[in-house]
Amino acid sequence: MTDPEFREAYRRHKDILYRFAWRMTGSPASAEDLVQDCFLALLRNPAAYDSQRGTLRSFLIGVTRNLALKKLRGERPLGELDDESVACPVIDPDGRERAEIVARAVAALPPLQRETLILAEYEEMPLDEIARVVGAELAAVKSRLHRARENLRRMLAPLLEKKGTAYGSCR
Amino acid sequence: MDRVDDAGNADPKLSELLQEWQVPGAPRSLDERVLGPRRRWWSFLLTGSIRMPVPVAVAIAAALLMMAVALARQRTAPPAPSSVNLADFQPVRDLHVRVIRGDHGAR
Repeated sequence: MTDPEFREAYRRHKDILYRFAWRMTGSPASAEDLVQDCFLALLRNPAAYDSQRGTLRSFLIGVTRNLALKKLRGERPLGELDDESVACPVIDPDGRERAEIVARAVAALPPLQRETLILAEYEEMPLDEIARVVGAELAAVKSRLHRARENLRRMLAPLLEKKGTAYGSCR
Repeated sequence: MDRVDDAGNADPKLSELLQEWQVPGAPRSLDERVLGPRRRWWSFLLTGSIRMPVPVAVAIAAALLMMAVALARQRTAPPAPSSVNLADFQPVRDLHVRVIRGDHGAR
């Protein structure tokens, strides 16, 4: 990969990678570290990207995703990445900005649900591409997204009720 | 129309609420960390470097050497004779020729 090609790849994909890393880790500083590590990995081993297997965007998101999960595992070594039994509690919106409440809710999701939701809802990525990025079956990705939305409805019920939906606070 | 409804529980209200949490794009500090700091053009003139193929460098060095040799030769060459302007020359009006004869032992 030539220097101009690398710079072009960085220019094209830095924002989506940074936003994804921020939403995964909840920290802009961690997001910078992850994106830098991602592009350093590309620089050191450009042959790792195979255009036959997918787009460069998918490849870079996959690298960032792996780095983020590694970081999250390091912070919570005993935590499950996708615990189906998790029923995220309602978040008390008292005194918090709505954006902050939403951020907390997304951060409370198990990591595998969180990444699927971020890529689907915020980056509008098709589910089949998400499946390629995270290295899972399409059915598993659909299941994770379904559970993520269910958990978010539960956690954000106070805000959704204010919007006039019929959702209750718990299941 | 829902953007993503393949999971079967797409929710426009939830999607709208989720969009209230926006994060910015990559900051300039990340650009510098990945690509290196941006330098002013004059800083490049002072501290920058240019990568050059060896054959190009050899050709440039050879051309500079030939120019230096040519300049050196120009400096050491004898001065060209100045041209003579005959416009101020006047014909000789009175010519006294003194003949000197050698003594060949005749006396």
